[in-house]
Amino acid sequence: MSTLSEESRQIVASLTHRVGPNADIAKTAHAIISILQDIEAALTPVIGQQGVAALYRRSLHLCGSTHPRLTGPCDRVQAGQVLTALKSVLVEQSEADALFFGEMLLTIFYELLTTLIGPSLTARLLRGVWEPSLSDTPSQENSP
Amino acid sequence: MSTKVTINRLATGVPGLDEVLGGGLPEFSFNLIAGPPGCGKTTLAHQMMFALATPERPALFFTVLGEPPLKMLRYQQQFDFFDSEAINQSIRYVNLADDTLAGDLDEVLRRIVSEVEAHSPALVFVDSFRSVVLASQTQNNPNNNLPQFVQQLGMLMTTWQATTFLIGEYFTETDTNPIFTVADGLIWLRQSVQRNSMVRKMEIMKMRGQPTLPGLHTFRIASSGIKVFAPAPFNPVEAPLEFPIKRLAMGVPQLDEMLGGGLPCGYSLLVAGPSGSGKSILAASFLAEGARNGETGVIAVFEQRPNHSQNATLANLIQCGKVGLVDSRAPDLSIDEIVHLLLGEIARLKATRVVIDSLSGFELALAPTFREDFRESLSRMVTALTSAGVSVLLTSELEDRYTDLRFSPYGTAFLTDAIIVQRYIEVQSRLLRIMAVVKVRASAHSDELRLYRIDDNGLQIGEMLPDQEGLLGGRPTRQLAVKGSG
Repeated sequence: MSTLSEESRQIVASLTHRVGPNADIAKTAHAIISILQDIEAALTPVIGQQGVAALYRRSLHLCGSTHPRLTGPCDRVQAGQVLTALKSVLVEQSEADALFFGEMLLTIFYELLTTLIGPSLTARLLRGVWEPSLSDTPSQENSP
Repeated sequence: MSTKVTINRLATGVPGLDEVLGGGLPEFSFNLIAGPPGCGKTTLAHQMMFALATPERPALFFTVLGEPPLKMLRYQQQFDFFDSEAINQSIRYVNLADDTLAGDLDEVLRRIVSEVEAHSPALVFVDSFRSVVLASQTQNNPNNNLPQFVQQLGMLMTTWQATTFLIGEYFTETDTNPIFTVADGLIWLRQSVQRNSMVRKMEIMKMRGQPTLPGLHTFRIASSGIKVFAPAPFNPVEAPLEFPIKRLAMGVPQLDEMLGGGLPCGYSLLVAGPSGSGKSILAASFLAEGARNGETGVIAVFEQRPNHSQNATLANLIQCGKVGLVDSRAPDLSIDEIVHLLLGEIARLKATRVVIDSLSGFELALAPTFREDFRESLSRMVTALTSAGVSVLLTSELEDRYTDLRFSPYGTAFLTDAIIVQRYIEVQSRLLRIMAVVKVRASAHSDELRLYRIDDNGLQIGEMLPDQEGLLGGRPTRQLAVKGSG
């Protein structure tokens, strides 16, 4: 499990980096959605749009047990509209709530993908998503 | 200098497949991997892809409707050849599900071409091609011309210098399908099920421009991936017999005498006899004698509990590595797999003596689908082993039939170069054993029926019973002439 917590640390770091300093709720929501979009872009060629949409739905469902208020609206929209719906819900939250929810959603998504295709392939496919934030930290293994 | 085009042959990375293909996969060929569900098509494609793809020669894997890619990745990962690091580096997956769902073949072709142009792959896989075809059939689209699509795809991929594989579910090879004509290579995978046994078989139905090995070749899917058991290469130029013939000692001096000085080197010897007559003991002494002379050996045991049938001498030899043990308890063996295992051990130990104990067990170990061709299988095994230069001792269980002289229940006696037969006889309320050398090809040998017994030191060959006759009938009688003169 230590590797997974390492990954979730990476997710949090990446999100914090994207949100940047002095963020308002719009910026926070945008950061969360942009990461999700990057994930979608990375995974769609491999598992297809439908595959990514199904993973989002499952992740949101898993988050729903603690945050039904946030995930509820996303359940009712079409597969392609999930992110738009999520964003409109996110901007109505407080920054702290949105950030907490974003971290949880991303971590759950990552764990879900890990249980399906294993840690190494998950890390390989999503490497590009975290990279912008990681390039700032000095002790980084840089893949050629 | 030849002005003909040279076709590079790619090593597929699948053990045995290059041999079956007749020397590897022709570069820029357009191939179809076909077969019913579950026969290993996607696995074969992945194994070749991971072996062949490099950052300089990348692979594109188009996933179409068929198996959801998430699942494919989940399961393919279980194989040793799967390397996550290669993904997005030398191997790129492209999902075409949405384009295929629309059912427009022109659009599918356009997507494939644009991805191929963008990434210049050396290898292209389309899994599964069958679903492209089915999707096109469900639409009443007049622009959907399948033969044209296949033709164009084939031409584009070849001119784009990509070796291409279409993976498709087909059930009958007699389908009139345009792709069968266009493809340069047709690799057909099958599962043959008979009663409780399943054997995977592969056939190269077509591979333009090279001498493929015809027929069905068995393969297995293990955690390392697919392993094809290509028939052992046949050496048409046999080494000429050297004179004087070099002979091997059997570990029973009197038997060597009976054989005319030992078993000629490179011969196959059948030891036939009823249960308990000491065939395995003779086989063990054959190997032990070899070990004593610095030779190594291999024994193939086809028993349910091989440890229980081993004698101490043999167990020691195996323990100290002088004899290799082939003890495949894998179900549904094929002859090529057994030969493959044997030749592997022979090469590893540089063995000169081989024992197959016994043919009856060997027959049971074979998958039922091969039993009908048992004689043929046996002949191929003996040929493969003797052409590898080893001397082979085969044991054969023989039901005692006192009405005729039989050497093996399979009519296989003609296959071997030499035969020793063992029988029980009843003399004065005792069950005694007799042994005779029936045949040693191109060599003089004894014609005596000799008594023998088995003790802690193995086989001890004794005298003839000149005053008895009808030994082979099992119940000899005292010769009248002997009685009269004595």
